[in-house]
Amino acid sequence: MNDTITQNLLVFGGVLFCAGLVGFLSRRSLILMFLSLEMMLSGVSVNLITFARHHQNYQGQILAIMVLTIAACEAAIALALVVSLYRRKATLDVKAWDELSETMPPHVSEVPVQFGEAAMEFPILTPAGLDPLVRPIPSDFEANSSEKADQVNTRKHEVASHA
Amino acid sequence: MITPIVLGALSYLLLQHGVLAKSKQMMAAGIVVLCGSVIFAIGFAPSTIEALLLMSFCSLATAGGVSFLVAREPVYAALGFATAVLSTCGIMFMQSALFLAAATMIVYAGATIIIFLFVLMFAQQTELRTYDVQLTHPVIAAAIGAVLLITITMCVTGEKGFKLASTDSTRPYSGAILPEELRSTKADDFFKAQSLELMSVPGTTAGLGRSLYTDYLIAVELAGAVLLVATIGAIALAQRPSENLT
Repeated sequence: MNDTITQNLLVFGGVLFCAGLVGFLSRRSLILMFLSLEMMLSGVSVNLITFARHHQNYQGQILAIMVLTIAACEAAIALALVVSLYRRKATLDVKAWDELSETMPPHVSEVPVQFGEAAMEFPILTPAGLDPLVRPIPSDFEANSSEKADQVNTRKHEVASHA
Repeated sequence: MITPIVLGALSYLLLQHGVLAKSKQMMAAGIVVLCGSVIFAIGFAPSTIEALLLMSFCSLATAGGVSFLVAREPVYAALGFATAVLSTCGIMFMQSALFLAAATMIVYAGATIIIFLFVLMFAQQTELRTYDVQLTHPVIAAAIGAVLLITITMCVTGEKGFKLASTDSTRPYSGAILPEELRSTKADDFFKAQSLELMSVPGTTAGLGRSLYTDYLIAVELAGAVLLVATIGAIALAQRPSENLT
């Protein structure tokens, strides 16, 4: 009979854990997600206490006390986090903090992109350098020689004054 | 065993749709199915008073968990969670974990629920928000939960599942000894006799405390350190950022 009770309580711990898991996966409010987490922890505590009773010693109860301690720490930090997050964006929605994760491509592009002849507009750039059609580069031009470079500079000045 | 669960779920769905559609036939059918499910469940009721109490606590806690899952208003969900936790405390009492039951009642139902309710009322406006109503993939989440629950049930109660080890009462006390300067034959004898006396009745709070502060002393110290760090972290996180930092 004792074994039956133990088994039933183990299943009950599983029920609490699964309820918490479903709540954690499906809820969107931050506070309710944390409450689901607490429910999972209480299911685990039931499990540990059942085993402690079954084995007639204190190890399970002590482990459950540790679980309780960690749950209290987690609740304190979670509440502080929720309050400080709520101060930034006035919402408890967990989806409001999506951008903390990896950015996913949107399912439907928000701005329809059209590539057409009319839509194409190129920026107008200021021309730079010498126009080779107006004044072609001479065949004896060498870029490395300093004299030629001076000549090129003078030519540039000529072009500038001409323009 | 499956029948009352299926009937209960059916009655819940009928009641919900009846309330939403305001059809009295549907609500009446839901109540009838609910009564049938309760009668079915009473058929499984055990004979001894202890098992009966345990079963009622278990059903109350499960009902609290289900109402936590299905409630739309977050405050009702928190109340369902409180019901589940308080019933769990009752189960802990029945399993002779007295200290743990009291501590859980104080920590969860006393502190956590109240603080969560404060934050809920601080952050929650009167009308429902979209994130309270719309869930993220409820079907997938329910499927995952159902698969996990069925697996646990099969592992625990199935014929091919894990077998419970026989009751192991040889390690009630792992043999902590007195420090050297305190040790004498008389003190040793007294210590041994006291520990034997305490440990011979498992489930007493004195024995739990003794085991906690002798066998698991380092764990207790570590837990205290973790609590301190969590307190500091919570205070640092909850502080309002100063204006000139922006």
